[in-house]
Amino acid sequence: MTSHWCDFQNADVILHCGSNSVENHPVSSKWLNKAHERGAKWIVVDPRYTRTAEMADIYCPIRSGTDIAFYGGMYNYIVQNLIEPNLADYLAGKDVPVYNFEYLLNYTNASYLLDAEYSFDVETGLFSGWDDETNTYSNHSWHYQTESTEEWDTSASGDYAWVKAEGVPEFTTPTIEHPKRDMTLADPMCVYQQFKQHYSRYDLDTVCAICGMDRETLELVYATYAESAAVGKSGALLYALGQTQHTYGAQNTRAMSVLQLLCGNIGVPGGGLNALRGEPNVQGATDMGMLVHEHPAYLKWSNTTDRSSLRKWLESQTYSDGYYTNKPKFLVSSLKEWFGENATVENDYGYDWWPKVPTHKGAQDYTHISTFELMDKGVIKGYFNWGMNPCHSAPNAGFVRRSMAKLDWLVVADQVATESATFWKAPDMNPAEIDTTVYFLPCALIYEKPGTILNSGRWLQWRYQAVEPWDEAKPDYEMCDLIWTSICDLYEKEGGANPDPILKTKWDYYIDGKIDPRPVTWALNGYEIAGTEFNGTSAAPKTALLSGYANLKADGSTACAMWIYSGFWSNNDAPLDAAEQPIGRRDNNDVSGIGLNSNWAYAWPNNRRILYNRASADLNGKPWNPDRVLCEWTGDKWNLVDAADFTAVKNGTPVPPNDKAFFMLWEQNARLESYGMNDGPLPEHFEPFETPVDSNLLNGSLNNPCMMFAENESTSHGTVEDYPLVATTYSVTEHWQTGGQSRMCPALVEAMPAQFVEISEELAAEKGIMKGDKVRVFNNRGSVVVDAVVTKRMKPMYVHGKTQHLVGLTHHYSWAGVFGTGDTVNDLTPNVGDPNSYTPEYKAFLVDIEKA
Amino acid sequence: MSEKAILFDTSRCTGCHACQIACKCWNNLPSPTGLNENKFSGSHQNPPDINGTTRLIMTYTENEATIATKRVNWAFGRRACQHCTDAPCASICPAGAIYIDEATGMVTTDDSKCVACQYCSTACPFDVPRYDGVQGKINKCTGCVDRIENGMAPACVTTCQPEALDFGDRDEMIAKAEERLANLKARGYEDACIYGVEEMGGLHVIQVLKYGVEAHGQVANPQKSAVTTLTEIMKPVTGVVSGVTVLGLAAMFGLAAGYKRDKVVYNPETEDTVSLITGDVVQHGDPQDDKSVKEHITENLPVGKKGGSHE
Repeated sequence: MTSHWCDFQNADVILHCGSNSVENHPVSSKWLNKAHERGAKWIVVDPRYTRTAEMADIYCPIRSGTDIAFYGGMYNYIVQNLIEPNLADYLAGKDVPVYNFEYLLNYTNASYLLDAEYSFDVETGLFSGWDDETNTYSNHSWHYQTESTEEWDTSASGDYAWVKAEGVPEFTTPTIEHPKRDMTLADPMCVYQQFKQHYSRYDLDTVCAICGMDRETLELVYATYAESAAVGKSGALLYALGQTQHTYGAQNTRAMSVLQLLCGNIGVPGGGLNALRGEPNVQGATDMGMLVHEHPAYLKWSNTTDRSSLRKWLESQTYSDGYYTNKPKFLVSSLKEWFGENATVENDYGYDWWPKVPTHKGAQDYTHISTFELMDKGVIKGYFNWGMNPCHSAPNAGFVRRSMAKLDWLVVADQVATESATFWKAPDMNPAEIDTTVYFLPCALIYEKPGTILNSGRWLQWRYQAVEPWDEAKPDYEMCDLIWTSICDLYEKEGGANPDPILKTKWDYYIDGKIDPRPVTWALNGYEIAGTEFNGTSAAPKTALLSGYANLKADGSTACAMWIYSGFWSNNDAPLDAAEQPIGRRDNNDVSGIGLNSNWAYAWPNNRRILYNRASADLNGKPWNPDRVLCEWTGDKWNLVDAADFTAVKNGTPVPPNDKAFFMLWEQNARLESYGMNDGPLPEHFEPFETPVDSNLLNGSLNNPCMMFAENESTSHGTVEDYPLVATTYSVTEHWQTGGQSRMCPALVEAMPAQFVEISEELAAEKGIMKGDKVRVFNNRGSVVVDAVVTKRMKPMYVHGKTQHLVGLTHHYSWAGVFGTGDTVNDLTPNVGDPNSYTPEYKAFLVDIEKA
Repeated sequence: MSEKAILFDTSRCTGCHACQIACKCWNNLPSPTGLNENKFSGSHQNPPDINGTTRLIMTYTENEATIATKRVNWAFGRRACQHCTDAPCASICPAGAIYIDEATGMVTTDDSKCVACQYCSTACPFDVPRYDGVQGKINKCTGCVDRIENGMAPACVTTCQPEALDFGDRDEMIAKAEERLANLKARGYEDACIYGVEEMGGLHVIQVLKYGVEAHGQVANPQKSAVTTLTEIMKPVTGVVSGVTVLGLAAMFGLAAGYKRDKVVYNPETEDTVSLITGDVVQHGDPQDDKSVKEHITENLPVGKKGGSHE
């Protein structure tokens, strides 16, 4: 999240949409309650009346999968009620406290002129740049018009002199394109005008008809949240998987970013776009880039097209301006950690040894959902299944287990015999017909090993080992080490395909001869290669750790595996002791007065607690709200309460305030319109893969034109005629995901002994279902029997003029387990995905229901 | 140590069950371990009520909305011992197994003394003490006096993330409750109230009830039962009741003989002791058998030990 948990206490308005945080992230409740009791207004928009809804002031139902219509309506509301009536006054120099025009005009790209070719066609639902043949967009026309250009000054006295230093790989430096702007927002091609026009279709009645809301409640929600757009006010937007697990999940996330920018809520205390992450290090896993197309620390992996060589990577990825002009330093340092002394400027620091993600035309897709398609086709024959349980958690789980049955071998590393470890034992599988060899590696639980853990607020904390691992269980890094060294031995003894990527890799994470996570922390933090040599013993640990990523070099003199973490383990006086490192800090004396707690643990990047914090003050560096200060220009320098997310000092001299509030983007202004998405520059409403309606009321395309995997036979699309109910899935607080841990705790099984389907009293009456009945929920992909919860908290909706029922299912149980088992709810969910993140659409699909 | 209380603010409670789980963990209370032995209740309330191995449950009650901007009143409640000042369970307990901790006011237990007579269950206006058939003991919240004595808050309080539970001096908890009530009233919760200040001489669980007493499953105006009052009169006179044929105590004799039913009733017409739950006759004839009541009460105690809390 751009903010952190404790910051919720500073909010004036709280909006939960796609999150049930008090249930699924219980610690949030403490900070939300503080804001609420101080007088903050709390809104929950959710298909169900959740435990979070019970805490709030306003509950607004929404049909699953219609979030963009809801947000688009809010943009339109803000444009029509706050911006349009006041813009002329603001431009004439009048004070307009109800809306933060200064933020919109100076810190966002509202004033930027878009390419003359930019367009959106309501009839087809397509933006300019669509290619019918490939079903993809070219984003060329989504860029800005250019006012002037500028080249990097790489001379000895220039800002970019480092480019010419010895050891820096050669690449053509980018050209800075200064966009054309119209600060009166009048030009029809400026982002604001295009934005205004785009969302003018999202009127209250249309939004209500799509989302299944009533107009009065919707208007109240819009009016209440729009209060956070006033100067000095802030609104916190909390979301989780309810937003991301859609065939337009990434656009949902963008839609929320746009709303927060429109309200001036990014970079301010009590604001932020707050992605609530899962407990077992989901934030850390994301940082580590555990996806096919992501490299650690939010860099891109090498691929077969625009990143097929080091030079191409540097030229396609290095930003022309802003902080990402430093990307070559991050990448070369990463390569130096990866390949050690084998990485030299002559061999492009070993870049070519990295595997290339296939991105050329017709290339095989290796993302999560496709993995099982490839197993089914016999392309993937072996599978490492490490710390996840796709036979339970993946969409269309029945297809997943049938695909796994075609594997030659499967390795499962887990703490318990999960469904994936025992896929052949599923009730519908016949073990006699399955030849897969399954290896089970028992792994240590989090409390049985030391290591780093990150929370949603990007805090790195050190978890100490509490107990020894059970029996033969080992920490993951120890298992990695055993496998890795065995593979290297085999290569050395017997040779094999592509030996260099294996044998040139540096692997020296040992202390006193034993694999140890602390040398890994040195690698993550970064160090000077020419610094003190670590001899592998605790008597002489490494001591050239870097104080932060500002010290990284592109000339091969520094190594760093995770530039964003640099600084978290930087105390050279005690390199072996977590307690003496920034990550180990435990001082909860909050000097900020607004809960930054900057001396507790370490927040990446650079211990910054609120990202984009320059936006908390106006153009002159004066905070919008004097009671919530993150940074303030005092006339000759910056008073920094949080670590600056902007250039506050350059070459030892304070930099006076300017409009560069978002320096992680090359234009350094935030994007209401963005060319960075695969499926459109502005969020546009589309229906889920399986939808109860036969048309899209806002444009001519029913589904997201870029939706992934819908063409696969395995997805088994169902129609509303056969399956009239909208279904969604979610978790309860008593269990964790597939239940590997929580279903092993008898007290948790006792507190929530089964998975259930929540249905309204109206639907229950229609189907003759009573509270506690066993019911069958089914569609083309599967059929599960679960317990019925008949509740007033669910109500039929009125969608496109018709009554629409919606049901919700929890998904924690399946056949594996010793205290509690059940059917696999993910047998029902569709294996289709988002075109940016490939995230499956767990949150909106169709089913029918009957008494079992 | 001064008089203590647990404060439970239902408006901060998120119904997460953590208090219920923490109670089981701290007190080593077992949960069923057979495959799918736990039956789902059809709501979030699992198990559906407190029982011999569960001292605290969260309750979930849905009523029609009284706030225009909400869909329903979903009232979360706490069902456990309320730690009365005038605790009928303590005064009726013939064995001294339930007693009031003088330092804190908490109604706590000494398992080793429990004779399983279950008088306390019958006497409790909140229907709290439950019989654990495996241990042959009564089970109820002890107020975590073991923790309090060591400077800690009760386990349920410590685990509560939304800070719905608090613990401290009773006066202070009441003052906090009043602040919260004012906040709730200002937010439009007109039925909100405080519970536990006067009830049963003053409870040591003070509650802020967002939707009023009944909505959160609390007992309006709890009273001592006639049985308890009578026992309180009898106990000082006889030390331990013996050979009395007071009709109102007849049901308790049946219980003292070791029946596991929570509630039985004696019908003087037929001279049967009948289970209120199943309707079965659990004992025929005159409930007074050959043994004296004292013998019944002390038969399970180690040799030489006598029952009675005031010896």
